[in-house]
Amino acid sequence: MNDFAQWLAGTSLSLAIQTHLWFIPTVQSIHIVCIGIVLASVFMIDLRIFGWAGRDQTLVQTTRRFGPWLWAALGVLLVTGALMVIGEPVRELMSLSFWLKMTLILAGIVIATLFQFALRKNGRQWEEDRINRWTTKSLAILTLLVWCSIVVLGRLIAYDHVWGAWSLRPIA
Amino acid sequence: MDLAATLKAIESSGIASSIRDSLYAFPLIESSHVIGLTLTFGTIAILDLRLLGLASVHRPFTKVAEVLKWTWVAFGITVITGMLMFITNASVYFSNLQFRWKMALIALSGINMFIFERICGRNVHRWDSDKSAPPAGKVAGILSLILWISVIFLGRWIGFTTTGNQAPDAPVNLDNLFQ
Repeated sequence: MNDFAQWLAGTSLSLAIQTHLWFIPTVQSIHIVCIGIVLASVFMIDLRIFGWAGRDQTLVQTTRRFGPWLWAALGVLLVTGALMVIGEPVRELMSLSFWLKMTLILAGIVIATLFQFALRKNGRQWEEDRINRWTTKSLAILTLLVWCSIVVLGRLIAYDHVWGAWSLRPIA
Repeated sequence: MDLAATLKAIESSGIASSIRDSLYAFPLIESSHVIGLTLTFGTIAILDLRLLGLASVHRPFTKVAEVLKWTWVAFGITVITGMLMFITNASVYFSNLQFRWKMALIALSGINMFIFERICGRNVHRWDSDKSAPPAGKVAGILSLILWISVIFLGRWIGFTTTGNQAPDAPVNLDNLFQ
């Protein structure tokens, strides 16, 4: 992986990003704006499941309201995230936080996809019964925790030393 | 009271030094700051987009605005974690131009919100179910989005302009903080 990161760092696109110092902070800021959209969307759907907000709308309506924003923002996150990897390959790819984050993102996307499919298939059943089950509520909390952990791990890429001996950072 | 001395005193406080001495405290506080600020921005954006008629248009504005109580919770987390980061290196942050602009823009969004409440909030019943707010409300929505996105950009820039920096020796020019 280190070899790949080194090779990527030498590509012309990576070099172009590295020489424009404003580029990384700008991309990171766009990344954070989109995290705001994702996190708030998940949060609103969760609040609806708990009945703490938006009770004038059904769960299906709430998910339909936030789903498209969630997926669109995830798309931008993928692009801006990829640009950050290309711009700083060693910093990103050689950090444990990064790979833990990617694993959790995969989990988050799988949960969101399954949830939307299940809701589309048995909408009424969800509204009347499943929304009140403790399994649904636990899954809602778990989902929010997954996305919050993704944010934490994302920030920890800058501080991979917190993992001590587990850190992947090459010793300079 | 001497400002520079006050900032130094804040930096040498027990809580500031224990955050600095810990390997985990600052990264975790910063991560909580990001969670708080993203939720603040995201929930405010829901309302701004509703004002502009770009989202949740079939829902009355006052219903959408119920989200604001969660915005305040998230904002509270962001402010507390922000202050904890500030005290670890108070004089550097205070002398940082991006930091000053960021504080100014947060204050401006507060003023924007206050003016909106005064102008549009009073007759909300007249446009509550309209697809978008009256012009003054749309202006408030656009301003809010621009201000908060700028706050996010400035916040990120603080991280790139303060690391390893020393606070300047020159005294703070209180007549012009943005120079």
